Amino acid sequence: MDFEFSKKEEQLRREIREFARRELAGRDLITGLEEESLDEDWEFAMQMSKKLSQKGWLTMAWPKEYGGRDASFFEQHVYMDEASYRGIPGMTMGVSGIGWVGQSLMLFGSDEQRKKYLPPIAAGEPDGIWCTAYSEPNAGSDFANIQTRAVRDGDYYTLNGQKIWTSCAHRARWCWLAVRTDASVSKKQHGISLIILDMKSPGITIKPIYNYAGIHIFNELFFDNVRVPVANLVGTENRGWYQLMQSLAFERHSVAPQFYGTARRILEIIIKYAGRTNLHGKPLASDPLVKHKLAERAIELETLKLFGYEITWKLSKGLIPIYEAARNKAYCDFVMQRLATTGSEIIGAYSQVDMRSKWAKVEGSITRLYMMFPGISIAAGTDEIQKNIVGQFKMGLPRPY
Amino acid sequence: MDFDLNEQQQMLRTMARDFLSRECSRTRVRELEKDSRGYDPDMLAKMAELGWLGLVLPEKYGGTGAGLLDLVVLLEEMGRNITPGPFFPTVALCALPLIKFGTKVQKAGYAADIAGGNKIWSLALTEESGSYDAADINCRADYNGTNYLINGEKWFVPFAHAADFLIVICRTGEVSNPQQVLTAFIIDTKCQGLKIELIPTIAGDGQCRVRFKNVKAGKQDILGGVGNGRKVFDFIMQSATILKCAEVSGACQAVLDMTLAYAKERIQFDKPIGSFMAIQHKLVDMLTEVEGLQYLVYYSAWLLASGQKAATQISMAKAKAAEVYQQVCIDGVKIHGAIGFSMDHDIGCFFRRIKSAEFMLGDRDTHLSKVASGIGL
Repeated sequence: MDFEFSKKEEQLRREIREFARRELAGRDLITGLEEESLDEDWEFAMQMSKKLSQKGWLTMAWPKEYGGRDASFFEQHVYMDEASYRGIPGMTMGVSGIGWVGQSLMLFGSDEQRKKYLPPIAAGEPDGIWCTAYSEPNAGSDFANIQTRAVRDGDYYTLNGQKIWTSCAHRARWCWLAVRTDASVSKKQHGISLIILDMKSPGITIKPIYNYAGIHIFNELFFDNVRVPVANLVGTENRGWYQLMQSLAFERHSVAPQFYGTARRILEIIIKYAGRTNLHGKPLASDPLVKHKLAERAIELETLKLFGYEITWKLSKGLIPIYEAARNKAYCDFVMQRLATTGSEIIGAYSQVDMRSKWAKVEGSITRLYMMFPGISIAAGTDEIQKNIVGQFKMGLPRPY
Repeated sequence: MDFDLNEQQQMLRTMARDFLSRECSRTRVRELEKDSRGYDPDMLAKMAELGWLGLVLPEKYGGTGAGLLDLVVLLEEMGRNITPGPFFPTVALCALPLIKFGTKVQKAGYAADIAGGNKIWSLALTEESGSYDAADINCRADYNGTNYLINGEKWFVPFAHAADFLIVICRTGEVSNPQQVLTAFIIDTKCQGLKIELIPTIAGDGQCRVRFKNVKAGKQDILGGVGNGRKVFDFIMQSATILKCAEVSGACQAVLDMTLAYAKERIQFDKPIGSFMAIQHKLVDMLTEVEGLQYLVYYSAWLLASGQKAATQISMAKAKAAEVYQQVCIDGVKIHGAIGFSMDHDIGCFFRRIKSAEFMLGDRDTHLSKVASGIGL
C-alpha cells in the first residue's frame, strides 16, 4: 500500500499551477464545458489548448509518434486533476478528441487514420476539434437502438438520419459518429459501425439546442444524403458496438480525476465563503450545521479522489477497469449533486442570481455548477445505466431490463 | 502509488480468513453472544500462537514487529467474522499506547504477556456521557503525597470483566485546562476499590461499567508521564480509531457478500430478486460505499503509518464507517426480507453491532466536527 505520488508527478503539479497563474489572469472556467458556448470563451480556450500542447500536456499519455510524450497514467491523472482545479479552459478541447477519439483510433483505427487525425488533436489545432454523435431521438440509454443509416455505395457511404444532444458540433471539424450499416440483423447491437465524418461535408445541418441555463453546448445534427468515404470507417464494419463500449470506457475513466479537481476547487470556494460571511454576527463557518454539511462533502470528495487513484493505478498495471469506470461516473454525479445543492444552500438566496451578474456570489461558480450538474450526470450514460453496468460486470447480477 | 497489499499482508489475510472461518463460525459467534465471558479463551490462545496478539509488538517482547497496516488487514478479517473477544481492546486500545508511551520497565513488565495471550487489557476512557471529547473526562486521580487516588466511573469499557489491566485516563488537574491535566494510569483490575459490572448490550459484546473508589496508583503506574494523558488520548484517538474502522470495513464487506449471494438465489416473480433494478441498484450503492470506505481506511492508515498528518482523514473514515455500516445493514436486512429480521439469520449479528461500532472512539457527529476543523471551518 502506497498512496504517494512520485517527485516527477508532484513537479508536474507545480508546473501546472505556475502555468495557470501566468496564463489565465482570472479567466479560469471552473466547471468547464460551457467554453464552447460563446465565441470569445471558445477563442480563449483554443489559445490555451495550443499552449497546453506546447507544454506537452494536452495529450501527454499518447505515444511520441502521434504528438504525445508517453507520459504515465499517473502523470496524466495529476494533469487532469490540477488543470481542472485551476479551471484551465481548452484542456479538453471539446472533450471528444482528447477524451476518447485518440485512444480509440490507436486501438481500432487504420495507420492512415492515426497519421491524419491524431497530430492535429495533439497540436491543439482547430482541425483537432471533434464532436461525438451517439444519441438519437429514440436512442438515449437504449443506445443500440440507433437508426441513422449509412448505406454503402462503392467507395462511399450515403448517410441519412438525425443525431441529437451532440456537444460541440458547432465547433467541431470532425464527428465521431455511430451509425447503422446493417438494418437486417436480429440483435440491434450488431450492424452498428463507427465512422469519421468531415463536418464540412455537404448535406449536414446543425441546429443549436440551448440548455435551460441558456448555454449552447448541444446541437441537433441532420444528415441529408451526406457522402462519406469508406476509408473513414473505423475498425470493422458492423462491429462498432464493441468499439463504442471501449470508447465509452475511455470517456468514463477520466471522470473521477477531472471532476475531483473541479469539486475540490468548488468546496474550497464554499469553505472560504463560509469563513468570510457573517450571519447573526458570526461567520457561517462556525455554524455546526454548515460545518457538518461541508464535512460530509469533504468525505465524499476524499472517496472520489481514491476511486480516481484506483482506476489510474489499475490502468497503469495494464488492467482494463470496466465496472470501476461506471462506478466512478455514478459516484461522481452523486458528489457533484451534493456539492451543488450544499453550495447553493450556503450562498442562500444569491444562488439564484445570474452567474454573470455583478451581484453573483463567488463569481457565479456555485450557480454554474448547480445549473450544469444534471446535464453532466446524464452525459456518458445516466446513473441508472452506470449502475446496471456495475451490477452485471462486477456483481454478476442478471441484466435487469 | 500502489493499492495492493504486500506479500506478507496477503499471507496474513489468507491465514486469518482460514483460521476465522474454521474457529469462529457464525454459530460460534452467536453462542458467545450468550456466554457470560463473551469470548472463547481457547480461540484467544490460538490467536496468540499465530502471533496475532504480538503482531505490532517489538520482537524483544515476543512480538513480530509488524506495522499498523498489517494490523489493519487482520482487523478487517476479524470484522468480516465479527470475531468477539478482547483482541481489539488488548491490542488496538492498549498494546499500541503501551509501546508508544510506556517506560522500559513497563514494556518489559507487560508486553510479553500481551504477545503471549496471557494477559487481557482494556481502555477505560469514556464515561457516563459516552463522549470521546477529552474535556468530558471527569474521573479524578488526586495525589495524596504518596499515591494517586482514583475516583469516578468509566462506561462502555470493552471486556473489562475479562481484563487483567486497564489503561485509565483520569483528570489530575483543573477542568479549565484539559490539555495539561489528564494522566493515563495502568491499573490492575484486582486492586481494591475497583468494581466492574457488565452492561447488558444488544450485541452481548462485553461492555462494562467500571467504578473506582479510592483506587491507589503509584508513580510507576503512570503511562506517558504526569499531565501527558492528552497525548495518550490523542494517540489512541488516531491509531485505535483507524483500526476500529478497519474492523467495520470488514463487517460491511461481509454484509454485502451475504446480501449479494441472497439476491442471486432468492426467486420471486420467477426471477432472482437481484435482477430487479430496484434491488440491483441498491446493491451497487452498497458496493460503492463499501469500496469507498475500504479505500479511505487504507489511505488514512497509510498516512498514519508513514508519519504524515492523518487526523482529518481518520475522522473522515470513522464518520463514513458509522454511516456505511448502518446503511449496508439496513439495506442488507431489507433485501433479505423477513428472514433477515429473524434471530436465525446471521445478518442480525452484524445489525446488533452497529451501535457499538458507531459510538466506540467517537460517533459520527464527533468526527464530522473534527473533519470540519481539518478542512478549515
